[in-house]
Amino acid sequence: MSAPAVLAAATIPDAVTFALAAVICVVGALGVVLMRNPVHSALALVMTLFGVAVLFVEQDAQFLAAVQVIVYTGAIVVLFLFVIMLLGVDRRERVLADTFRGQRVVALVLGLMVLAEVVLLARTRWTTGAHSVAGPLDGPGSNVAKLGRSIFTTYLIPFEVTSALLVVAVVGAVVLARRPGLGEPSGEAPDEADGASPVGPGASGPGAEAADAEAADAAGAGTAESTAGAGAAAGAGAAVTR
Amino acid sequence: MIGSAHLAGVVGARLVAASGITIPHIDYTAILPELILLGGMLLLLAAAALSPRPLPTEAYATATVGLATASLVTSLVLWRDVTDRGPLTTVAHSIDVDGFALFFLVTISCILVVAPMLGAGYLRRERISGPEYYVLALISGSGAMFMASANDLVLVFLGLEILSIPLYVLAGLDHRREASGEAAMKYFVLGAFSSAIFVYGIALTYGATGSTNLAEIGAFLARNVVTSDGVLIGGLGLLLVGFAFKVAAVPFHMWTPDVYQGAPTPATGFMAAMAKAGGFAALLRVFVSTFPSLRSSWQPVVFVLAALTLLVGAVVAVVQSDVKRMLSYSSINHAGFVLLGLQAATARGVAGSLYYVFTYGLVVLGSFAVVSLVGGSGEDRHDLARFRGLGRRQPVIATAFAVLLLAQAGAPFTTGFFAKLYVVEAAAAAHSYLLAAIAMGSAAIAAFFYLRVVFLMFSDAGAAAPAGEGATARAVEAARPAGIEPAGAAGGSWVPEPSGAVATMVAPVTRSAAADARSVSSGVVALDVSGEPPVATSPWILAGLGICVAVTVVFGVWPQPLVEFAHQATLLF
Amino acid sequence: MIHAAFLIPLFPLVGFAVLAPFGRKLGNPLAGWIATLLVAASFVVTVLVFVALFRIAPAHRSVTEPWFDWISVDRLRVGAGLLVDPLSLTMASFVTGVSALIHLYSIGYMRHDEQFPKFFTYLNLFVFSMLMLVLADNFVLSFLGWEGVGVCSYFLIAFWFDRAEAASAGKKAMIFNRIGDAGFLLGIFLVFERTGSVQYTTVFARLGHVGTPSLVAIALLLFLGAVGKSAQIPLFPWLADAMAGPTPVSALIHAATMVTAGVYLMCRINPVLHLAPDAAHVIAWVGVATAFVGATSACAQDDIKKVLAYSTVSQLGYMFLAAGSGAYVAAIFLMLTHAFYKALLFLGAGSVIHAMDEDQDIKNMGGLAKLMPITGVTFLVGWLSIAGVPPFSGFWSKGDVLQNAWAVTPALWAIGAVTAALTAYYMGREYFLVFQGQRRWVEARPEASHGPEHGESYTARGLHPHDPTWHMSVPLVVLAALAVLGGLVNLPFHPSLVFLERWLSPVVGATLLQHHFSAGAEWLFALVDAALAILGVAVAAALWRKSSDRPALEPRFLSMAWWVDAAEDRLVARTGEALASFTATVVESRVVDGAVNGVASLVRTTGERLRRVQSGYVRSYALGLTAGVVVLLAYLLVRVGS
Repeated sequence: MSAPAVLAAATIPDAVTFALAAVICVVGALGVVLMRNPVHSALALVMTLFGVAVLFVEQDAQFLAAVQVIVYTGAIVVLFLFVIMLLGVDRRERVLADTFRGQRVVALVLGLMVLAEVVLLARTRWTTGAHSVAGPLDGPGSNVAKLGRSIFTTYLIPFEVTSALLVVAVVGAVVLARRPGLGEPSGEAPDEADGASPVGPGASGPGAEAADAEAADAAGAGTAESTAGAGAAAGAGAAVTR
Repeated sequence: MIGSAHLAGVVGARLVAASGITIPHIDYTAILPELILLGGMLLLLAAAALSPRPLPTEAYATATVGLATASLVTSLVLWRDVTDRGPLTTVAHSIDVDGFALFFLVTISCILVVAPMLGAGYLRRERISGPEYYVLALISGSGAMFMASANDLVLVFLGLEILSIPLYVLAGLDHRREASGEAAMKYFVLGAFSSAIFVYGIALTYGATGSTNLAEIGAFLARNVVTSDGVLIGGLGLLLVGFAFKVAAVPFHMWTPDVYQGAPTPATGFMAAMAKAGGFAALLRVFVSTFPSLRSSWQPVVFVLAALTLLVGAVVAVVQSDVKRMLSYSSINHAGFVLLGLQAATARGVAGSLYYVFTYGLVVLGSFAVVSLVGGSGEDRHDLARFRGLGRRQPVIATAFAVLLLAQAGAPFTTGFFAKLYVVEAAAAAHSYLLAAIAMGSAAIAAFFYLRVVFLMFSDAGAAAPAGEGATARAVEAARPAGIEPAGAAGGSWVPEPSGAVATMVAPVTRSAAADARSVSSGVVALDVSGEPPVATSPWILAGLGICVAVTVVFGVWPQPLVEFAHQATLLF
Repeated sequence: MIHAAFLIPLFPLVGFAVLAPFGRKLGNPLAGWIATLLVAASFVVTVLVFVALFRIAPAHRSVTEPWFDWISVDRLRVGAGLLVDPLSLTMASFVTGVSALIHLYSIGYMRHDEQFPKFFTYLNLFVFSMLMLVLADNFVLSFLGWEGVGVCSYFLIAFWFDRAEAASAGKKAMIFNRIGDAGFLLGIFLVFERTGSVQYTTVFARLGHVGTPSLVAIALLLFLGAVGKSAQIPLFPWLADAMAGPTPVSALIHAATMVTAGVYLMCRINPVLHLAPDAAHVIAWVGVATAFVGATSACAQDDIKKVLAYSTVSQLGYMFLAAGSGAYVAAIFLMLTHAFYKALLFLGAGSVIHAMDEDQDIKNMGGLAKLMPITGVTFLVGWLSIAGVPPFSGFWSKGDVLQNAWAVTPALWAIGAVTAALTAYYMGREYFLVFQGQRRWVEARPEASHGPEHGESYTARGLHPHDPTWHMSVPLVVLAALAVLGGLVNLPFHPSLVFLERWLSPVVGATLLQHHFSAGAEWLFALVDAALAILGVAVAAALWRKSSDRPALEPRFLSMAWWVDAAEDRLVARTGEALASFTATVVESRVVDGAVNGVASLVRTTGERLRRVQSGYVRSYALGLTAGVVVLLAYLLVRVGS
């Protein structure tokens, strides 16, 4: 939720808590992006997640806050750290290189503009003070029961459908992480990128094609056999360069 | 799914006793098409995991076609029920099975019937084994179905993710081509970005209306006259951005050419068909049926989006020399046409959009299938020049491609003609004359690059080169395969480390400007192709292409059933 | 059974769909047999539907068989459907019947052609298009068939596209037809604009609300279409050139069926013509003028097929004369009998051409009657029939036309009658030069022999003219029988004998001006007609039975068809060319090219610019996306704020 709206409806302590938690979240998020060391990034993520947990508490969603801490910081970020450690923490990526001059500045400006625009839009009148479909969180009944009720009634189908998302996550991870199948002749691939790298679309095709075309042109006046020879030679040459 | 839902039922029964929770009634027949796809997908995975020997890709394809057919039949049965008894809504009003949803269910099922046929041959050729392509396609299809029948923004979002994530993976299915991995990475990062914007839009909408349920939002807006509500409008705008990204509308389209070009070609076709079906399903439902009262706010935005999409898609496609990339831009152009129907925001417009999405789905699947055939092993032959003389070498394939391209250009006697006719008509009827004019102008520009390929295919390669050179062509052709084989095998270096994936972000391989540098500046293809390897077809791909072409031509000559279908679907909102 | 009408066009369409991809594999002669049998099946269905329609009470003999809404945009509703009524079925039955015979003939005629399957593919497509033209229940679908037959005609005229004259004749036919088609299209537009429909029945029902000037305009615009398709003045020269196509094509398309489409259209719009008598007079006068010009031109032709081509032009003129006189039954009657005898004459000519080893010059023939008895006798029947000698079919149908012309004004009758005598004369000339007299081909064989347009030199080998194979002679015999007996469908003696008139009366009855004279007058007309025909035959016999060289009777302006082609070439084509070259050099290169290239290069440079945006970097794309969000939200902000 955007700040002014919350400020308008909340008491001073709430406002202070919100502001602090929001700062924690944003700083953490910036840290995730800006830290050079992946481990630091992961830890900064913990900070953001904690901030979110605080926001949950502030809205009387203590159970969610607890789940947030246990599941995200406790399990997921730890998993991240495992992976980072396994792969080695020394890798540095120059992710922040500009693709054109002043890109970062433009990005910053645009980002701030989006923020400003949302804030400005939200400044106008709220249409509703209606409570959420799950009912007021500070009303009677326990937090867990309300959440349960919400999940198993209103949001039953989204809750169930999430399982499909988990399946696709597993399948996707397997597909993307799997090395090229054994016995397939792509093992020798990595160091072949000597100018005839086939990575760019059509980058290898035209090269070979041009060679063939040249061969055909060169032998244009000659007999078909000699052309065939030249073509074959060109083909073979292309094969060798690869 | 069924199991867990049952479990929920059991647990729910106890909860009812304990705390008075009433578990919503679940009408399983109403969500049967989705359940078939998801359940079948799990069975497919299990079969792949449990079978002692790797199953051939055709076995999975057969299974997928079977599942999709089952879901198609179920959808049609549901359609009959809905036309008889009116729309169904189930699971706490989260799911609406109405005519509109069923139209998309049928569309998605059709895409799923054809896509495996077109993919099987490719996967065999590229030696990509395993059930992943099919599993991902099925999940993606179920996601699109959920988007189409969702009556709740949360479910729309989940559907969007279930639709998209398999597409990201499909884009990176080919490990041997680095471009494929890069496409996946790009699509994923930008997709996540747009999803975040979309979720933000949901949050704002929820904040403004107090519900995520579309029906309740609609009821709320009907009860309250909203004069100036920035939060709701802002939420609407962000939702539109999320959808616009999914359906590749300008200016949220920039991922499209790179991803479409990098992805394995059948996956590209599937992506184009499925993402548009799912994206437009939810887009039309949310905007036309839930937010009609805010029409004056979003219509101008959609107007601009549509105009830009139409023009940019057509204009940039003109300068492409790579057919795959050209078709990517053309898909952007098509998205603009579907947006025409949304902009009109009339029953006619929506019906036109539905018709367009259905027909385009099959046309684009077929088109990319031909590109994958011509692209050959290793997928590096998408240049325009490769299509020269295809009419002589592969008359059947070339004719099919010509029909599909003509359909995309909107030639009469193809579905494309009526698709364009209806959306433009709807735009004109809604007094969006400028937009209708822009649409027709862009269609004229687009006709140029479609027809260029058609002419190229049927222009005689021997006309440019004398007979003697024809002989050399054949000689070179004979010599080629020896050189071609390693190219496919050593086609790419997939860098397995995650950092490698990041590296592709840093220094993209598909530097599009570079890829485009070999453009055809004068419209004449400079590259002379002296010899082409034979295009290896398979019965599967021919069958799939046959379906695409048959649907395109039959409903192009006899549009009435499909038009009626789309029209009724719109009425049964 | 009427519901089976959809099968009539379906069979040839199936033939096309099968032959187009698999024709080459099916090969020769299987492809031909499939095509022939499908058209024959179509004929059988037509007959069955005909019988079914006959059983219905005459007032209800107009059945619309709607299939589906084809195009529906705003007010415009174009359905796809058939209009089964006596007129369309009469057309359909002779189209399918004659087509089936000519398909059969073609199996023999084309048997040595390498493109054999392709020929039948086109033929089937032609029959399908023609049937759509005839059976369609609205103008647009008819126009589709109209264009379809035009395209097939183009393909088939230019079938031997490696011959320069065939290729250019194909182009010429296309261009002349396009002029007419423009008129047809404008006519349809006007019809829709004035009546809000393109459906025949609806349009005719609403004609009462349309002003006479509009009706005249509609009639004349549609007539322009008919002029192009049916080779009337001034758009007739293409038909003579169209003879460069294979002879069965000339017989089927350029004599029996396609060229009569214009007449059919005029009969179809009879309610319009009825309300626009001025337009009808124009049609009648153009028709009779064409009849005369065609007949005189035919008198001086040396090419066996060109005589027949000009004769077709002339006969079509008669049909328009009838239609313009309001005698639609006479027009259809003549069309029917003409289809029989003209197809017969063309097929006979084809048989002769085969026998003469592709030589088409009648001055090099002679004396073939004994060597080719079947061809000779059937050709004789055809000649007498077209000449209007009683009791052959032409006598009855032409007599009917002339009587009705008299009813309008005797001047029309007079020109028509002179033309009738000329018809008997020029066909007699052809018959005598080909089948009687000396066997000039025996000695005149070597170089000088072939027609001007045959470039390939003759190998001096002996000719042994003989009757063709049974594929070719069976159609000849059947058509000859029909040419003799065709008159039976509409005998004038007694009201109970005018079958055709009664049959067609549900369609044209209300507007028919068919005149009935007293019995005495009818006898007088019949006598005069017969006398004119016999006079023509006698003169031809006297002049051409012995001699083949009478330059005085073949003035150049007749052999050049009144210089119409040349004049059009001079006036229209040359000015057109001058205009075109002016346009090409000045307007095109400066103005149009400038504009087009400007637009094209604008598109291209814009495309190139826009493409630079595609840097390939995810970051840039995300930036672009954000920029889009910024703009979108800014707009919404302004909206909300205001």
